Amino acid sequence: MSRWRYFFKRLLLSVPVLFLVMTFIFVLLRMGPVDPVAARLGPEASGAEAARMRERLGLNDPLWEQYLDFITDLLTLDLGKSWVIYGDMEVTRIISFAGPPTLWLGFWAILLPLFIGIPLGFYAGLRPNSGGDYIASVGGILWQAMPNFWLSIILLAALRKTKGGGWFGFDWYTLGPDIRSITGTPELAFATASGIDWGTLASDIKLILPPALVLGSASMAAELRIGRTAILETINSNYVETAKAKGLTNRVIIWKHVFRNALIPLVPVITNEAFLLIGGSVIVEYLFNINGLGKIFFQATVQGDLPLAGALLFIFTVVIILLNILQDFLYTIIDPRVGYER
Amino acid sequence: MSVATSTDPILDVRNLQTAFFTEKETIRAVDGISFDIRRGETVGIVGESGSGKSVTARSIMGLVDSPGRTLRGSSVQFNHLETVREYASKFPDRTVDLETVAADYDPVALFDRETVDLTPAAFGCENAADVPLADIVAAGYGDELGLVDEDDCVFVTDGSPDTPTEIDDGFVEITRLSGEPRRRMRGGRIAMVFQDPLTSLNPVYTVGNQIKESVRLHQGLRGEAATQEAIDLLEAVGIPDARRRVNEYPHQFSGGMRQRAVIAMALACEPELLICDEPTTALDVTIQAQILDLLADLQAERDLSMMFITHDMGVIAEISDRVNVMYAGEIVETADVNELFTDPRHPYTRGLLESIPGQQSGDRLQTIEGNVPTPNEPATSCRFAPRCPKAFDECDTVHPVPVSVDEGADDHTAACLLCPEHRSTDDAIDQHRRRNARRTGGDTE
Repeated sequence: MSRWRYFFKRLLLSVPVLFLVMTFIFVLLRMGPVDPVAARLGPEASGAEAARMRERLGLNDPLWEQYLDFITDLLTLDLGKSWVIYGDMEVTRIISFAGPPTLWLGFWAILLPLFIGIPLGFYAGLRPNSGGDYIASVGGILWQAMPNFWLSIILLAALRKTKGGGWFGFDWYTLGPDIRSITGTPELAFATASGIDWGTLASDIKLILPPALVLGSASMAAELRIGRTAILETINSNYVETAKAKGLTNRVIIWKHVFRNALIPLVPVITNEAFLLIGGSVIVEYLFNINGLGKIFFQATVQGDLPLAGALLFIFTVVIILLNILQDFLYTIIDPRVGYER
Repeated sequence: MSVATSTDPILDVRNLQTAFFTEKETIRAVDGISFDIRRGETVGIVGESGSGKSVTARSIMGLVDSPGRTLRGSSVQFNHLETVREYASKFPDRTVDLETVAADYDPVALFDRETVDLTPAAFGCENAADVPLADIVAAGYGDELGLVDEDDCVFVTDGSPDTPTEIDDGFVEITRLSGEPRRRMRGGRIAMVFQDPLTSLNPVYTVGNQIKESVRLHQGLRGEAATQEAIDLLEAVGIPDARRRVNEYPHQFSGGMRQRAVIAMALACEPELLICDEPTTALDVTIQAQILDLLADLQAERDLSMMFITHDMGVIAEISDRVNVMYAGEIVETADVNELFTDPRHPYTRGLLESIPGQQSGDRLQTIEGNVPTPNEPATSCRFAPRCPKAFDECDTVHPVPVSVDEGADDHTAACLLCPEHRSTDDAIDQHRRRNARRTGGDTE
């Protein structure tokens, strides 16, 4: 089937992209403004010590050899050691404890908009120019207009005010599972050998909801608006009229003929928003004090921890490439016209 | 009352009015047209863009969406006996025996009531006593007169709704349909083929899937049987290698093939009436000829009635038995196809025929100057007058109504002040004025 051949073609195309990115990282690390030796030993380091370090890091080898080593290391997931932030700790270990909170945050930041934004957009699209539509659309624009850093602070301030009752009539600290602080890193220890610990899961979810809401805010609004437009466009199309003329019920028309077509323009929106999450998580993790990849990446770049920053950049690239593949996969499933050439 | 015969119209459109209400204006896209379609017959509807052809088709299908709606006083009666029987047994709550209603029906008293702004003239009758009950009810006045319930839509005129199989005459009033009865009518009894085959199939489902959808819905076939039926239908509309084609997507079909698939889909529900809304406009000429042949064959095979909308006089000449010429929401001329082409009476029809390439007298192609006006108000003059080469003073003050063009020519009517031609123009104008006064008498809403 040509659809699947198209998909595999896209899959193969991601290989050169991966190499290009790895080369780019290498160039950035080895030829950039930061001197690795100085970054490790401090700017005052000099003489024999610096020369030893230079030798140990392999900086005296020919460049092509360094490049090959670098690529092989990345591909075998030997990501090296942190220089500055976690002195000499393996990057893979850092990822093993910082990765899960970021994934947890990202998961909810994608899930929330998906299950709030798209249904709201579809609702608005099915009732164009009604009161509900106006509320949803205006709310969407407002929501999208609020920058993440501002929204984070306001949300934190508002939630802190709820301690012991407060303005809104509920206490976020004691609502549902108790939490000591509204910020912090979720422990993610709910999946134990004896099954799922529901109490821990609940407090982990509660801890992640505010930052996820902030992080997903822009995508939620975008999905709402694109969803609304997509529904409107589909519902006025000729094949929907044909379906009506066939005598189908409204339920079948909407669920079978409208929704699937309306999803097509939403696929790139959803996956593109997922890209943004990676950048956005840097700010949100910082403000909500979550010890995740975003926060560590920020620290690593600021403090010149090049192997750590490079390794994280590589991970982010791999994630984006995977998301791209997922996007192509979704397209291939939803739209039979994909890969069709006349 | 008589048993329905094959010469009785299967679809009887009376005073159909569909208007679109926007903030800026009201557009009376279809403004009081009447015509009928007999069993096995093809009725053509022809006119320029914007003359209300497609809105007529959509009104019959019940596809007119807000801000448009079919106005009260419109009536579209579906006179197919089997359908009436089926509807009477399926929807007994919505079926009315007009004979029982007639027992306490007193037209004179009804028209005297102050609550209803209605005159016998609205139904084309001089005296209140002459107005048939069925017409009042069908036109939607029965509800407020307390004759029928709001959602009644099946009217039995001969026989009893209690024994549906023995009903001898009746009709389903299409403008009053809603919900399930409406859906059964759409596709099941009246199917429609749309203008643009490239966009009227859903791109994400296979052609077979979309045909099977209809088959399942209206014939109750499932699984393998439904697939087989879909393959048979594709073969019937002349698609080679149907067994493979049934699993292909619309984008793998050419334009002509897609229109064939759309026709197959329309036939899937075994309709009595097929409405074709410019089915060949988007196709090139050779494919157009093939599709017209196909439609003619299918019609002969299945005893279909057909309503064929087009702006192409050549297509009309080829396919239709009778023709209605529409202009600005009104039917300006109705005639047998041969008579229309040899002896057109309305100046608009003449203009249309003269503008066919090859028919002109000089080098230049004849055209009708100007555009179709948008009908915003109830007509008080001839809407064609500003473009009419034969217009005279009265054309701006008297609204012409369809009248027989000549003595004894009952099947040929034209809405022109010059008709009927056997009378003097002054007499003719008088006749139009009188008929018009009656018509608008009840049109005050």
